[in-house]
Amino acid sequence: MNGTIQAPTLEYAQLAPMLVVFGAAIVGVLVEAFAPRYLRSAIHVPITLLSLAGAFALTIWQVVKGVPTKPAAMGAVAVDGPSLFIWGTILVLAFVSVLLINDEDHFVAAAAAVPGSAEEEQALHEGAGHTEVYPLALFAVGGMLLFPASNDLLVMFVALEVMSLPLYLLCGLARRRRLLSQEAAVKYFLLGAFSSAFFLYGTALLYGYAGSIDLAKISAALGVVGGQETLLYIGVAMLGVGLLFKIGAAPFQAWKPDVYQGAPTPITALMASGTLVAAFGALLRVFWVALGGLDWNWSPVLWAVAILTMVVGAILAITQTDIKRMLAYSSIAHGGFLLVGVVATGAAAGQNSKALSAILFYLVAYGFTTVGAFAVVTMVRDAGGEAWHLSRWAGLGKRSPLLAGIFAFFLLAFAGIPLTSGFFGKYAVFQAAVAGGATPLVIVGVVASAVAAFFYVRVIVLMFFSDPAADGPSVVLPSRGTAAVVGVAVLATVFLGVFPQPVLHLAQNAAQSLFIR
Amino acid sequence: MGESITFWVLAVVSVIAALGLVFSRRAVYSALMLGVVMFSLAVLYAVQDAPFLAAVQIIVYTGAVMMLFLFVLMLVGVDSSDSLVETIRGQRFWAVLAGLAFAALLGLGIGNAVLSPPKGLAAANRAGNVPSLAELIFTRHVFAFEVTSALLITAALGAMVLAHRERAEPKQTQKDLSRARFVRFGQLGRNPGPLPGPGTYARHNAIDMPALLPDGSVSPLSVNRVVARYEAAEGTLPPEVERILQEEALSERANGHVARPLGEEDGK
Amino acid sequence: MEPAEIIQHSGGVIGASWLMIALPLLGAAVLLLGGRKTDKFGHLLGVAMAVASFVVAALAFIQLLGFAPGERRRGVELYDLIPGIAKVGLLVDPLSISFCLLITFVGSLIHIYSIGYMAHDPARRRFFAYLNLFVAAMLVLVLADNYLGLYVGWEGVGLASYLLIGFWQHKPTAATAAKKAFIVNRVGDFGLSIGIFTIFATFHSLSYQGVAEGMAKGGSIPATAIGLLLLLGACGKSAQLPLQSWLLDAMEGPTPVSALIHAATMVTAGVYLVVRSGPIFQATDTAQLVVTIVGVATLLAGAIIGTAKDDIKKALAGSTMSQIGYMMLAAGIGPAGYAFAIAHLITHGFFKADMFLGAGSVMHGMNDEVNMRKYGGLRKVMPITFVTFFIGYLAIIGFPLLSGYFTKDGIIETAMEHNAILGWLAVLGAGITGFYMSRLVFMTFFGKKRWEADAHPHESPAVMTWPLIILSIGAIVLGAFLILGNRFMLFLSPAVGRPEELPSFHPFSTTGLATLALVAVGVVFAWYRYGSAEVPGVAPRGSFLTAFARRDLYGDALNEALLMRPGQWLTRLAVYFDNRGVDGLVNSLAALIGGSSGRLRRIQTGYVRSYALSIFVGAAVLVGAWFVVGNL
Repeated sequence: MNGTIQAPTLEYAQLAPMLVVFGAAIVGVLVEAFAPRYLRSAIHVPITLLSLAGAFALTIWQVVKGVPTKPAAMGAVAVDGPSLFIWGTILVLAFVSVLLINDEDHFVAAAAAVPGSAEEEQALHEGAGHTEVYPLALFAVGGMLLFPASNDLLVMFVALEVMSLPLYLLCGLARRRRLLSQEAAVKYFLLGAFSSAFFLYGTALLYGYAGSIDLAKISAALGVVGGQETLLYIGVAMLGVGLLFKIGAAPFQAWKPDVYQGAPTPITALMASGTLVAAFGALLRVFWVALGGLDWNWSPVLWAVAILTMVVGAILAITQTDIKRMLAYSSIAHGGFLLVGVVATGAAAGQNSKALSAILFYLVAYGFTTVGAFAVVTMVRDAGGEAWHLSRWAGLGKRSPLLAGIFAFFLLAFAGIPLTSGFFGKYAVFQAAVAGGATPLVIVGVVASAVAAFFYVRVIVLMFFSDPAADGPSVVLPSRGTAAVVGVAVLATVFLGVFPQPVLHLAQNAAQSLFIR
Repeated sequence: MGESITFWVLAVVSVIAALGLVFSRRAVYSALMLGVVMFSLAVLYAVQDAPFLAAVQIIVYTGAVMMLFLFVLMLVGVDSSDSLVETIRGQRFWAVLAGLAFAALLGLGIGNAVLSPPKGLAAANRAGNVPSLAELIFTRHVFAFEVTSALLITAALGAMVLAHRERAEPKQTQKDLSRARFVRFGQLGRNPGPLPGPGTYARHNAIDMPALLPDGSVSPLSVNRVVARYEAAEGTLPPEVERILQEEALSERANGHVARPLGEEDGK
Repeated sequence: MEPAEIIQHSGGVIGASWLMIALPLLGAAVLLLGGRKTDKFGHLLGVAMAVASFVVAALAFIQLLGFAPGERRRGVELYDLIPGIAKVGLLVDPLSISFCLLITFVGSLIHIYSIGYMAHDPARRRFFAYLNLFVAAMLVLVLADNYLGLYVGWEGVGLASYLLIGFWQHKPTAATAAKKAFIVNRVGDFGLSIGIFTIFATFHSLSYQGVAEGMAKGGSIPATAIGLLLLLGACGKSAQLPLQSWLLDAMEGPTPVSALIHAATMVTAGVYLVVRSGPIFQATDTAQLVVTIVGVATLLAGAIIGTAKDDIKKALAGSTMSQIGYMMLAAGIGPAGYAFAIAHLITHGFFKADMFLGAGSVMHGMNDEVNMRKYGGLRKVMPITFVTFFIGYLAIIGFPLLSGYFTKDGIIETAMEHNAILGWLAVLGAGITGFYMSRLVFMTFFGKKRWEADAHPHESPAVMTWPLIILSIGAIVLGAFLILGNRFMLFLSPAVGRPEELPSFHPFSTTGLATLALVAVGVVFAWYRYGSAEVPGVAPRGSFLTAFARRDLYGDALNEALLMRPGQWLTRLAVYFDNRGVDGLVNSLAALIGGSSGRLRRIQTGYVRSYALSIFVGAAVLVGAWFVVGNL
């Protein structure tokens, strides 16, 4: 060896969406360092929104130009059809969530001040605020982009951390009920670290099995390497723990209600939409690219996980009395429905692309609806901030029929009523599952949907058919950003419900190429 | 052969240290145990043809990270041990059960695997350990390497957000403080000088012994109330100090004051 | 001859034919959502939307005529609703465009008429919103290219009908009538939906094209079952026996509603369904026979009911039932009858709407009095209403050269050729029609004044009389235009097929002469009873037959005895079992779910260490499971 290193080739064009987001995040940090306090927010918002829009445009441009067929960045990142679709979805959802974040009074004035202390009073009085949330959110979005596109387990792990770390922080920055928020952040952090350890251990074991962390090479090693299957099984299981934790599948769902409840509601919206999309993208990539040849092995286990997730999510949601916790359990149940789609893969490429497109469509539909629902939650307030307890929502329909109607519509979409996006999402996933021979799973899914419909409808009944409390919460006049978010979510839910064809078509095109290996 | 012996010795040491890390009641012990684990790992790396990793392990982990832990422990207090009473029913039982099951599964699984004979690092290290690592980091894994920077920036930013508080008013200088002390002396007649140190004429010079006045009685001013409270809880408080504290408490209750450590400044 | 292929079409007016539906729908949305702000111009907007829809329909019709007859079935694909199952698409073909023209044209006239009729109603805007909604739904029904779309429209018109019958819901009778219509229609809709399910299960397609192809392919197809189920739906919507009882009560709605929905358009949807499902019915003699029997039975029953009613609207409603019975009869015969069924449907739409609006005009002038025994001699005070009504009357009894003469005679001739018994029964029906319609006209417009003291009859304003004039012109000329030279049959044939041999029109056939003679007997008898003689102000007790007819042939009693009583028993039984068995099951299931929810909830302690434990246990189980599955 002569000691020289061949310079790596990086396909900047393919990586551009991620680079734009990360670059904007770093610019945001510089703004924090150098710009005067009163200017920061005014600089951050355009940077954040423009970078997300620019990244989206670059994603579209790549689709138009032709989807790449080989991994980029020395085989570290796979920019393929599903990746691009997921990127587009995440970027739009992130854009919408940032509009929600932009509403000033969701975040703490001074995170370092002890809750309830004189310092906090003073910071509130001075109108201080943490504009760091913008670069942090951008870092998280960058991680979300990389997570489903990573082509080896190392990059995937780094992406997992890049995505999670800013979210741990953001969870603890709620303006009101700060102790709850900090508790949520610590819980999320500890449990996230715990599950990351599983992920890493699994990676190590898979490396021990295949001699590589490349997803494609692990796939190639399946069946070739003999005598070490136990390493493979334990490794896959541990990797699965890490990934299933992120999507909140049972029995790894315990963090979700606590964290969703404690986190500032815009961050909850970002997590419930963007993180879920990214985590499902990564899960699909690992299980199809690396372990596709092992599906006879993992699908029974995922069957069990999917059933458990649907059942736990639907049943536990029934007794919730807090709107955010209820939505968290609903998110768990939806994760279960999506897992049904993951199980629906088969040996044939056609079946795979059918299931994949169904999942992609479901993710888009669910993402928009859930952002909209949380945006509505931010608007229903009483003296102590957002009114979370369900009893406070009683009679909302009489007080502000429009908002209650919109929320009811979102809930119906969650329940999967026809003419909403949720119906086609569920329909596509269940249909793919039936075609993939997972009919019993679909039956469980339908029963769980029915149970879930109960608590959605219960909220609707509560809003429209009970008398409003005398000191009930007032609905704040939404800022332009929040109104835009709710409007976009309603439009998307309606559009996907009565006119699903274009997005289904897009998802089918994206899924056609499957994940590149 | 030498590698095997080192491994078995260090394996035992590091497993025992790791168990100690988890089960030790005192945080400092745990930190030191962690140091032992890290150090053993470094030696293992060195023995297995990975000198760079060994060096990094010692410099970064044993050197920097460990020291940080110890600093934090010093700041938080050595004795702040948490209550170890388990309040959740079944928690311990299930934890132990799951741990044993998990260990059994791992042992069974990995023990059953037919591992191919180790290849060694000779081929990988042909160009030298460090250059070979560098090549991997800067070619194949360059993207992961670069993205890690995002993680570090996030961590730094996060530390700033959570810990840094902007000063709302100008910092008080020595001059300001001294002026305030004399103002207080003028208004309240409070002694502007330092309080008497503990144990001046006593057999002990420990911080928990009060200073004695020339007449042999105890100087209440020299009693550190934090220490006294601790000793009262432990039951080792000297009787004369206890008497003083009780008198003081009585008189303060009569005057409607709240008991307050003497060393603390008032009037902010 | 089989129906022609459907050609996919885009562009032009046909490509934009969804506008026909969208415009009135938009009108309804604006009027319903806009609230009181739209009170001022609401009626004008409603009329404008209906007229605009008619303009689109007319333009589409002209464009359709531009194609060769074999290419006149144009499909307009809008989008895939459920890939592989349901597309949202329209079918513009001679059959659907005929309906569109009828609905939008008559609909527009009735909208205009309603401006005057509802002028003093405080909720006029809401009335126009519902009317627009009805027009949109009815157009969905006839334009859809598949059964799912038809079903959506079917339910939509049901809803609009419910809302409009109960428009004056402060009247308990109106509210009850609305409910009755809705519930009776449920029975029919139930049949229709089961029929559609069966269609999908059989053909794996819901489109008319798919069904036609499936029928052509053959195999074991439960055509009779599907046909009977669809017929049940048709009976509900078109008030045919045994689901006829709601139509008479539906006259509680405002008169324009009775004219548009319960005479001209909605009630004919059943005929449309039977004709549209031609490929299915033609494959099953049984179902076709049942259709014809239902048609004949209803045409007689409706006519008999019509003879005994003193309420002018109810008498007209009986006549509507009867006329739809004729259409049903023709539709059951097959391709030979389709053209006559639809032609009669169109002419009936004109003359019956004309008469209903005329009746409305009379009521308008008579303080909303509906009892014909309180009318009499109105021809002098309401000349325009009288003339237009009289034209409608001549048309319906089949007076030579008016439209009813051509279309009804066509049906009778075809039925005679098909089956002599049915044919003679239809002739008998025509005779009764002559009687009861003459009775109605004589009681209303001739004879002596029997008005209440406070009645000051007067002619209606121009906005109400002009629609009457236009409709009566249609009632005069349409029949000849459609039937002579088989013009309509040839026009429709690409959509519904046609008989091998085209019928020819014989003005002096035996059947035709017999019909005319019987009608004349009916008219003379009516003149003898009601024209020349004194009409008592209170209905005489009458014979057993009269009572029978007055009580709607005991239709309600029959319903009550056959359906309601057993239904109530069944309900009680079901409630009993529900309380004991099902409820217990459901409740215990709910309790089980709720209980397990409560129990599971306790696992969620809020302590992070217990969460970590759950993850750890989960991980151990997952590893173990993988291990087991992997080593199987």
